Amino acid sequence: MKSRANILLYNIGAVIIGLIISAILLLFMKVNPLDVCGQALGKIVSDKYNLGEVLVKATPLIFTSLAFAFTYNANLFNIGAQGQFLMGSIVAVALSLKLQSIVPTFILLIIVLIGSAAGGAFMGGLIGGAKAKFKANEFLVSMMSTYVVSNFMDYLLRTSLQETKAEYMQTDAIDKAAYLPTILPGTRVHLGFVIAVLFAIGVWVLLNKTTLGFQIRAVGKNSDAANLGGIKPTTIYVISFMIAGGLAGIAGLTEINGVQHMLLRDFNASIGSYGIGIAILANGNPIGCIFASILFGFLNVMGTTMGRLPGLNIPASIIELIEGIVMACVIISYAVRRIVENKKKKKQMRKAGA
Amino acid sequence: MAVPAIDIQNVSKYFAKVIANKDVSLTVEEGEVVALLGENGAGKSTIMKILYGLYGKDEGKIFVRGEEVNIKNPADAMSRGIAMIQQHFSLVPTHTATENIILGNVHGHVNIKEHEKKLKEIALKYGFDVPVDVPVGQLAVGQQQKIEILKALYINTSILIMDEPTAVLTPQESDNLMQFIKDFTAKGNSIVFITHKMKEVMEVADKIVVMRNGVVVDTVKREDTDEQELAKLMIGEPIIPPARDESIDYMNNDVVLSIKDVSFGEKNAVDLLKDLNFDIHKGEIFGIAGVSGNGQDELCDVISGLKHATKGTIVLDGEDITKASIKKRNTMGIGYCPVDRYRDAMVMDMTLAENIFLKHWWDKEWSNKGFIRIKKLNEYTNELIKRHRVKANDYSDIARGLSGGNQQKVVLGREVDLGKKLLIFNQPTRGLDMGAVDRIHHVISEEKANGKAVLLISTELSEIFEMCDRIAVMHGGKMMGIYKNGDLTTEQIGLLMAGVHLEDEKEVAE
Repeated sequence: MKSRANILLYNIGAVIIGLIISAILLLFMKVNPLDVCGQALGKIVSDKYNLGEVLVKATPLIFTSLAFAFTYNANLFNIGAQGQFLMGSIVAVALSLKLQSIVPTFILLIIVLIGSAAGGAFMGGLIGGAKAKFKANEFLVSMMSTYVVSNFMDYLLRTSLQETKAEYMQTDAIDKAAYLPTILPGTRVHLGFVIAVLFAIGVWVLLNKTTLGFQIRAVGKNSDAANLGGIKPTTIYVISFMIAGGLAGIAGLTEINGVQHMLLRDFNASIGSYGIGIAILANGNPIGCIFASILFGFLNVMGTTMGRLPGLNIPASIIELIEGIVMACVIISYAVRRIVENKKKKKQMRKAGA
Repeated sequence: MAVPAIDIQNVSKYFAKVIANKDVSLTVEEGEVVALLGENGAGKSTIMKILYGLYGKDEGKIFVRGEEVNIKNPADAMSRGIAMIQQHFSLVPTHTATENIILGNVHGHVNIKEHEKKLKEIALKYGFDVPVDVPVGQLAVGQQQKIEILKALYINTSILIMDEPTAVLTPQESDNLMQFIKDFTAKGNSIVFITHKMKEVMEVADKIVVMRNGVVVDTVKREDTDEQELAKLMIGEPIIPPARDESIDYMNNDVVLSIKDVSFGEKNAVDLLKDLNFDIHKGEIFGIAGVSGNGQDELCDVISGLKHATKGTIVLDGEDITKASIKKRNTMGIGYCPVDRYRDAMVMDMTLAENIFLKHWWDKEWSNKGFIRIKKLNEYTNELIKRHRVKANDYSDIARGLSGGNQQKVVLGREVDLGKKLLIFNQPTRGLDMGAVDRIHHVISEEKANGKAVLLISTELSEIFEMCDRIAVMHGGKMMGIYKNGDLTTEQIGLLMAGVHLEDEKEVAE
């Protein structure tokens, strides 16, 4: 327990250091970081809508980070959360458009939830299957799969899924009946956020309390010993990737039915890569993914707000820089923690020996 | 008195988790053989690795020929005439002896022939018969070791450190090594050799430094001591081996495991197991002796189900399991302690309870609708820790934090409970301290008394002689014969291990 608190302390420290370094960078842009951040922060906190945006942005990130964190526990690298998310989105928009006038909202949303998860799981299954069957490198396969799905989506947007006007590469907007209900009035925060949190908790339970989760972790930590324990690592590879893909797929539901209400080109192009960083920030812990995603959601909103501050001309992309620096600081903090703890133990030893 | 070749004064070394060495002092005179005796983990290798520059020391001083030195790396050590032969050889298997030896000592254009000639001269001087132009991967372990020694001689070493040099050798090869040690030191050179085998110590050592738990317990002259005294110094307490009842004839008991014409080999490669035939009966310990790497591991693999026999049948208690999955075999009552605990038996970053669950996850008794019955698991783990006297706090300890002996006790406890019919032990005591070895031997004896069939594979002849009812010797994937314990002398086993058939010996038929 003590070590877990320790990790948290290091993480928070790293995030703060990352923000300080970022602030120094702002100095180079000839703006006063304290002033700018203060203003942006004020705008976020004082406005319910902006505050809600933090959670809106965090929602899909929770899913994509879970998608990476899940396979991470099986010592696999799922770089393809973006593709799995897009596949989920395609299924979500197609099902919504098809069924919105036929079935009631509640049932529709459940169907879309299952469908988008299945879409993502299908992509994940392909990657896991390639790994299990042909010993393909899952890192590369999953990474490239994103491009496949992205192009497949473009094809659909130009053909069967294209809007009735047939003008832009996008689908028709879905009906209000197919929207995920808003849970906080005056904001865009929708039911998807609650679903995301529930799934994160569910993933934690699955990994830590069930036999399947045990098998996945055992394969991840020592596949040879797991194999001799009668666990088939290849089966676990496929299952983990399917579950991970399914998680990323559900982000399709929250983004299509919760936020965008249609599918268009370059849809949320970077939530997959952010997911990886967030999962690493959370050290693969599903619960940690919730908080790390909220942090990144916040940074995201902060960036947009800063960009809109009048007369300062701060590029909104500054926030990507900040996010990168924060992430780097967290990763460095892992190394620092190990060194410090080793030193401490050695010192204790010397005292005990003397 | 002359200045000692090596003088180590009060050297200490701390690792994050253990005190590896504390105030270690020892001297090595010129022309002297010093044996560093102690159990595994006593700190013998550590102090020598410090001397060889592989580790830095935290406290103390080291003098080489009277000059205080701070050896930073092996190259530094070698330039002072110190060489060390590691327990695991550092040779490039695809290179010839010559290429291996000149590696790192030559630059630019290399005249291989010239080096070969020089090497042959050195080899001749010590009566070494090793081919210098064959890839070392093709040579026997004993010859590889000679190449390691040549490597040291080539750089004009005067102080040679050898870490457990006889661990991988047949008795005959060991004798040759002992002869070399005598020849080498007769020329005024010094040798430090690290071992836990008393016999060798008494044979060649001039001075014996006994270590225990990172400190030097005593330094004695060979002529002033005997094996009993050394054992006492080394272990600290007397060990009573479990008694073996030789009067029972197990051949009449039911057959538990039956191996018929079993062969195994990877595709397009030489068979690693060739036509093995043997039965193991209830309550019998069947031992397999042999130099490691002669098919023992593959035999374990085909019985445990990790690999499938390419020919022949394996029958457990009347049921053909030749093609059965690992899980199926586990549920049928096979317990297996593999040789590489770190790789195959434990998940080091999981808790002890989770490591126990590794062999129970399929069992409905241990899970409820897919959820692990954690309370039951934890209670069982605590009970197992107590029963096998594992030094651990409780079920939540991470496996990595335990010592090797205690890790092995956990594996052993798990496997003996799982293996209701057959237990396979592949070198169960390798690398463990005497206390743990003793505990493990007693557990194996208990399980035998409970009527389980036991397959015990070991490279330690003393262990084989102490524990087994029948002994088979493996060489090159083949059985060199199956004998009753007591029908073979150490020398005869040594010959069999080296692949020499005993023409006149009467084989005990199955």
